[in-house]
Amino acid sequence: MPSLSLLVFLPLAGAVLLIFIPRDKEDLLRSLALAVAGLALVLALWLFLAFDEGQAGMQFVEHSRGWLGRGIDYHLGLDGISLLLVLLTAFLLPIALLSSWTSIRERVKEYLIFMLLLETGILGVFVSLNLFLFYVFWEAMLIPMYFLIGVWGGGRRVYATVKFVLFTMFGSLLMLVAIFVLYRQTGSLNLLDYYTLASSGNWLDPRLQVWLFLAFALAFAIKVPMFPFHTWLPDAHVEAPTAGSVILAAVLLKMGAYGFLRFALPLFPEAVPKFLPYLAALSVIGIIYGGAMALIQKDIKSLVAYSSVSHMGLVMLAIFALNPEGTVGALYQMINHGLSTGALFLMVGILHERSHTRLIKDYGGVSRQMPVFAAFFLICVLSSAGLPGLNGFVGEVLCLYGVFRASPLLAVLAVTTVILAAAYLLWMYRRVMHGPIVNPNIRLFKDLNLREIGLLLPIIILIFWMGVYPQTFLRKFDASVTQYIHQVTRRPPLLVRSGPPRPRPADKAANVQADFRPGGGGHE
Amino acid sequence: MNNSWLALLPLILLAGTALLLLVLEAFLKSEEKAYLGYIAAAALAGCGYTFVRFWNKQLSFFKGSLKFDNLSLLFGFLFLLAGLFVVLISLKYVSLVLTNIGEFYPLLLFGLAGLVIMATSANLLVIFLGLEVLSVSSYALAGLRLKEARSSEAALKYFLLGSFAGAFFVFGLALLFGASGSVEIPALAQSLAPGSPTARLGLAGLALVLAGLAFKIALVPFHMWTPDVYEGAPTPVAAFFSVGPKAAGFAVLLRLLSPYWKTGFRSGTMFWILYALAALTMVVANLAALRQTNVKRLLAYSSIAQAGYILVAVLAGDPEKLIFYLAVYVFMNLGAFAAISALGRRDTEFVELDDYAGLGFKYPWLGATLSIFLLSLAGFPPTAGFLAKFYVFSSAVRQGLTPLVIIGVLASLVSVYYYLKIIVFMYMRPPSREVEAGLQSPELFLVLFLCLYGVLQMGINPGNILALIRQAVATLP
Repeated sequence: MPSLSLLVFLPLAGAVLLIFIPRDKEDLLRSLALAVAGLALVLALWLFLAFDEGQAGMQFVEHSRGWLGRGIDYHLGLDGISLLLVLLTAFLLPIALLSSWTSIRERVKEYLIFMLLLETGILGVFVSLNLFLFYVFWEAMLIPMYFLIGVWGGGRRVYATVKFVLFTMFGSLLMLVAIFVLYRQTGSLNLLDYYTLASSGNWLDPRLQVWLFLAFALAFAIKVPMFPFHTWLPDAHVEAPTAGSVILAAVLLKMGAYGFLRFALPLFPEAVPKFLPYLAALSVIGIIYGGAMALIQKDIKSLVAYSSVSHMGLVMLAIFALNPEGTVGALYQMINHGLSTGALFLMVGILHERSHTRLIKDYGGVSRQMPVFAAFFLICVLSSAGLPGLNGFVGEVLCLYGVFRASPLLAVLAVTTVILAAAYLLWMYRRVMHGPIVNPNIRLFKDLNLREIGLLLPIIILIFWMGVYPQTFLRKFDASVTQYIHQVTRRPPLLVRSGPPRPRPADKAANVQADFRPGGGGHE
Repeated sequence: MNNSWLALLPLILLAGTALLLLVLEAFLKSEEKAYLGYIAAAALAGCGYTFVRFWNKQLSFFKGSLKFDNLSLLFGFLFLLAGLFVVLISLKYVSLVLTNIGEFYPLLLFGLAGLVIMATSANLLVIFLGLEVLSVSSYALAGLRLKEARSSEAALKYFLLGSFAGAFFVFGLALLFGASGSVEIPALAQSLAPGSPTARLGLAGLALVLAGLAFKIALVPFHMWTPDVYEGAPTPVAAFFSVGPKAAGFAVLLRLLSPYWKTGFRSGTMFWILYALAALTMVVANLAALRQTNVKRLLAYSSIAQAGYILVAVLAGDPEKLIFYLAVYVFMNLGAFAAISALGRRDTEFVELDDYAGLGFKYPWLGATLSIFLLSLAGFPPTAGFLAKFYVFSSAVRQGLTPLVIIGVLASLVSVYYYLKIIVFMYMRPPSREVEAGLQSPELFLVLFLCLYGVLQMGINPGNILALIRQAVATLP
């Protein structure tokens, strides 16, 4: 069964279906969109359960050759690196749709269509194994996001959305040229072929690799975003409608990190060591800069936005540590960040729906009016700040341990993320939730209704689950990460001082090492 | 080669119907004149049918001056398709906006006959004949909005500059004839071979011919007329100008340059001239388009920029990708023009960006289709515009033209801004003026949906069309 195609194109089919439903039947439109997104979630859950964690290679592979020319295949697959990102996307989409049930009142039909198209684009990015296909989804995804921010966004939405598109395209167009060059050199655009070639030693000229790596890295660094390419992010996040911010922060940023893991780092093994120190430095700057900026924000939404810059800095740093702990931590932290930041944006949206302001100074004493909300908010804030027992802690510890093994100094600098996050988040929490009620509007606030509880509760449950029993998720990516680390550290990277990384012996993954041929484990 | 009178049939059909329409117009009552458009459409369909029957037959006439090989047929088919679309979007426009219905369709048909001649001949003299037939009818078409001063200005400007371009072409032709003693393209190639005594003279001639073609294609710096003419001309006519003459220009360029591709094209002067033209065109046109507030002028600069991308395919020596881009361009550009030509009412066109504010929600289908065409022009997947750019740029990189491709992609980044600007106005600005799409008609929507189908079909599954194009370019030397 072509399960991946089904998952990717189900939302698209839903969007096409919505076109033919009259625009005044809003409830029907909403329910249908939700049903489609729910169905996609069920499918993604099935994939998660059916995923064989012992295998490092691609699973559920679909491959039909020569779709648009030699080497341009239709080729999908899922491995441990993409599995949870796919699940996260499918999980958050219904929640995002629910969150906008009452806040989006105008042009509901178009809104739902774009949300579903967005889901197809994002899922496609995560499962494409052909560079052409990947690029198509990567770019196509921009269009629905462009409309979501530009039509349903806040006051400076046009500026924000055009900036978002131009920034992203600047990077990706240069990546496109790099893809052309790869195509010229190899006559193929098949990622798994590249993996095989890159490990065979008969790969690209090292000088060419440098240029290609730069082009890919720029595209992904803008998407993550890494300092200094982050300036589109606060604008886009702040101006986007709540659901748009949730998807942006929770999933879109992960596409950049995923790009590094999937393409930029494994494909150019001889160029990577040259740039690792700089990339690591930029990540650390991002961590501290994002945290410091978050401290001084007056707007809750931009505070959360800058916190993303800081958190993604840690994720990137852990990825650049190029060891199993760091990579597993980065993957885990990506999911955590998706959940906790997504939830924070949802809750800022819930506050905004009641008061129509996002300025911290307009709030105060909200917890008295909304006790349930206050509890949920606190859990998400603490999860984002990395409190032990919640998901953020597991991810941060793994990330920091990985970074420490690569470079203790960087780890020391990176730890500031924990301190800064605690500072800006808790301070914001205190100013918003506690203290006297200054703004009379707050006295009219109603606590969460059933729909809002319903959409937040799954996230809260996952936050606890992932904090208490991370093995459910961690073991899914062990095998793939071990293989990935082997791919990228064929030559010892500059950052790693303690020799070539050893996989953790306790892990099952150690047994899978025999099959190191890249992509060898797949169902091809 | 089958020498046959039949080869004249398509041209007789086009020109004959044009004459018939001119005569008919005198006898029809004014409310019956709408039928003229349907007759023109029927003639185009008939002509298209003859092209289908000619496929693989290699008909020719006048000692090979007219050669209906598959390449000419494919180009001819593109012209007819463009012509048909233009006729369909003009049906309502012509009867509401123009005062003189009678001239419009005959002029269009004559213009199409000129295009077919240009694409069908390998004899530069005959090509010039086609060019002039096309030009003369174009000048008149541009000036058809009699009450608009800008329309007359457009006609005059087009006429003056076009005459110069024609003169360049003829002068170049004379030099080429002097250099090689022939006006047949295959014979020219030999005299231009490096080392031949007349190579320099031939090169000068070729450059002048190229200047004449670059004017029709609207390459920078031969593009000055384009925005003014598009702005002044009736919108369906501008749609025709943006597609027909450009495609014909590239058809001639293809025949003219393909003999050199295999022999030292990359080292010749001609290559660098074209290289500079392509780079200049992509950069200048896209930058100039940024500042436009009139949608027709904006699309004029956009069409100049698109010609720059197509020229990259010429430089890469990849006729297959060139024709694919042209075919895609016909659909997406005509689609965009069809959508904007719907905005207007009796005597007026709404063409300022401010007029577009809020239109996307007022006219959902017009807005959605126009957005898709603009996104395709900007090169977003999964539209055909992306695939066309992908093929052309990829093939250019394979030929080692990476710097040019980098210029190209950065220029197309700039283009994203102004294409999105129209969408911003349609969907993200509240309506500011009283604007109506008074010129929509069922036929216009037919064109919109055919173009939409083309843009999506060629973007997702272009296999059949690529196979067809491959058959056509197989006849190139």
